[in-house]
Amino acid sequence: MNSTRLLRLATDLIVIFLGLFSLTSPFFFTQARDIDNQAAAFPIMVSLIILLCLMIVIFEAQTSLLDSKMIAFLAVLTAINAGLRFLENAIPGPGGFSPIFFLIILSGYYFGSRIGFLVGAMTLLVSAIITGGIGPWLPGQMITAGWVGQSAIILTFLVDKFAWRGKPVEIILLSGFGGLWGILYGVIMNLWFWPFLGAGAGQTFSHTAGALENLQRYVAYYLATSLVWDITRTVGNILIISIMTTSVLKVFQRFKQRFSFQIQG
Amino acid sequence: MIHSIVWMIWLLVVMVFILSTRNPIYLGLILVGLLFLGHRLAREKKIKNWVLANLRFLLTMILLSTLINGFFSHVGQTILFTIPQKWPLIGGNFTLESLVYGVINGLVIGALYILFNIINLALSIKQLTRMIPRAFHPITMMVTISLTFFPSIQKRAREIKEAQMIRGNPMKKIVDWLPILIPLLVTSLENAFLLAESMTTRGFHQPIDLRAPGNLISLILGTFFVFSGWMMHLFNYPRYLSAPLFVIGFGLILLTLMAVGKHSKITRYHHEEWKPMDIMITIIIALYLVIFIYLRWADGLPSLNYSPYPYLSMPALQTIGLLFCILPFVPMIIKRHD
Repeated sequence: MNSTRLLRLATDLIVIFLGLFSLTSPFFFTQARDIDNQAAAFPIMVSLIILLCLMIVIFEAQTSLLDSKMIAFLAVLTAINAGLRFLENAIPGPGGFSPIFFLIILSGYYFGSRIGFLVGAMTLLVSAIITGGIGPWLPGQMITAGWVGQSAIILTFLVDKFAWRGKPVEIILLSGFGGLWGILYGVIMNLWFWPFLGAGAGQTFSHTAGALENLQRYVAYYLATSLVWDITRTVGNILIISIMTTSVLKVFQRFKQRFSFQIQG
Repeated sequence: MIHSIVWMIWLLVVMVFILSTRNPIYLGLILVGLLFLGHRLAREKKIKNWVLANLRFLLTMILLSTLINGFFSHVGQTILFTIPQKWPLIGGNFTLESLVYGVINGLVIGALYILFNIINLALSIKQLTRMIPRAFHPITMMVTISLTFFPSIQKRAREIKEAQMIRGNPMKKIVDWLPILIPLLVTSLENAFLLAESMTTRGFHQPIDLRAPGNLISLILGTFFVFSGWMMHLFNYPRYLSAPLFVIGFGLILLTLMAVGKHSKITRYHHEEWKPMDIMITIIIALYLVIFIYLRWADGLPSLNYSPYPYLSMPALQTIGLLFCILPFVPMIIKRHD
C-alpha cells in the first residue's frame, strides 16, 4: 500500500471514529447526557466536530483526486442529484422518501469510495444552497450522505470477489444496501439532536442508567417518532435502485472510459 | 446590504440564546422578533406568504412535539387522563406538564428553523458560496459549476419530460421516470465532458498541488485538539486545561487554511464592503455575547432554565433576559438605516 492510500485510509478511519464517537458519546459518558448542562452545547459541539471531519475528508479528496475532469464530472452529477432533491421538495413524496440516494450509492459503488463521499456530501450542500436549507443540521446530513456513498465500496469488493457483476445478485445487493441506508440515515441523523431538542422525559437519556438501557430508550424514541418515516425512504431506495441500476451503470461505464483521458506536456 | 459576516455573527449569538433557554416566554418573544425580521426581508425580496409558511411549520412542530411528548412521556403531577399500562409505549398517565414540555420543544425547533430560514433569505447564493474558505478552491469551483448547471439541467429535464409525455409516457410509476433520467444523465455528462476539455485547454488540467501531507496532518491534529478540549470540558476538567486545547486546535486549523488558501489564485470582481453600521452592529452583538457568556458563567440568568416538571409553574422573568430577546431586531436597525 503506497503512502497516499495509507494516508487516505488513516483519514477515513479518524473521521469515522471522531464523527460516530461524537454522535454516540451520550451512550457512553454520563457527563454527555447531562441534559440540563448540555442542551445548548451538545448539538453545537457535535455539529462543529462533524464540520471539521467533513473539512478533513474534503481537503484530502481535493488534494488527491480533483483535477479539471473530476471537478466537471462531479459538479454535473451533483447538479443532477440536487435537481432530484429539488423535485422532492417541490412534489413531496410519502414520509422520508428521497430520490437522491440511489445516485450517491451507485457513484460510490462504481467510481470508488471518495467519489461516492463527495457526491453524497456535495449533493446535500448544493441542494441546501438552492432550496434555502442551510442550517445546523446540514453538516450532519452532508457527512451521513457522504458515508452512504463511501460505504458502497464494500459492495464493489463483494461483487468483484464473488464475480457477481452483471448478475441479478448485484442488483439485489445494491437494493438491500439502499434499503439499509434508508433506515441508518434516519438513525444517525436523529442522534444529533436526540434527546436535547426533540424528546421528552422517559425517552431521553437517563443520567443514571447504563449504555444498554439508554440504547433501549433511543430505540423506543426512534420507533415512536421516525420508523414509519424512514421505512418510506427504505422502500423508495429499494424500488428506485432495482429499477434504475442497470441503465445508470451502463451510462457510468461509458463515461468512465471517456473521462480517463490524460494530458501530456 | 448587511455584510455577510455580520449576519453570521448575529446567527451564532441568536442560536446560542435559543439553545440555552427553555423559558417559553423568552422563546415566544424571540420568535416574534424573528418573524418580524423575516417578514421584512421577505417583503424586500417580494416573497409572498413567508410568515404564513413559517407559522405553519412552527405550529406543526408544536403540535407534533406536544402530542409525541404527551403520549410517550408520563412524567408530571397534573394527570389529565390515563392510558392503560398494557398499551405498549404510550401506556401511562397523560399529564399537563408533559404537554407543556412538548410545546417548549416545538418552540425551540421552530425558532431554530425560522432563524436559519432568515439567513437563507438574507444571504444570496453568491454570498453563501463565498463563505467556503479559499483553501477549498477546487470544491468551491465544483459547487459554483454545479449551481450554474442547475437551471439548465432543470430545463433539459422539463424538455425530456414533455417529449416523453407526447410519446405517451404516463409518468405515473417510478419506472416511467427511467426514460427521463437516462437521457438527462447522458446529455449532462456530455456537457461535463466538454467543460472538462475546455477547462483543460485553458490550463486547469493540473491536479491541484496541495499534496504536502503536512497540511492534512495539521488539520487532523487541529480537529483532534478541539475534540480533546470538548471531552475535557465534558468531564469537568478545569477550564485552564480545556481552553488552551480549543485555542491550539482552532489556531492550527485557521493557520493551515490560511497557508493553503494563499496558493489559490482567485479573482474577485465584487468585494463586500464593511460599512460603519456593520462595525457598529458587530460591536453590539459581540457585547451581547460577552455579557451572555459572563452571566451564564456567573449563574446570573437563572430564568433561562425553566422546566414544567414536576408541577407546572409560571416561568420566571428577568429584565436582562428580556433584553436578550431584542436580539432578532438588531439587523433591523441597519435595514432602517439603509
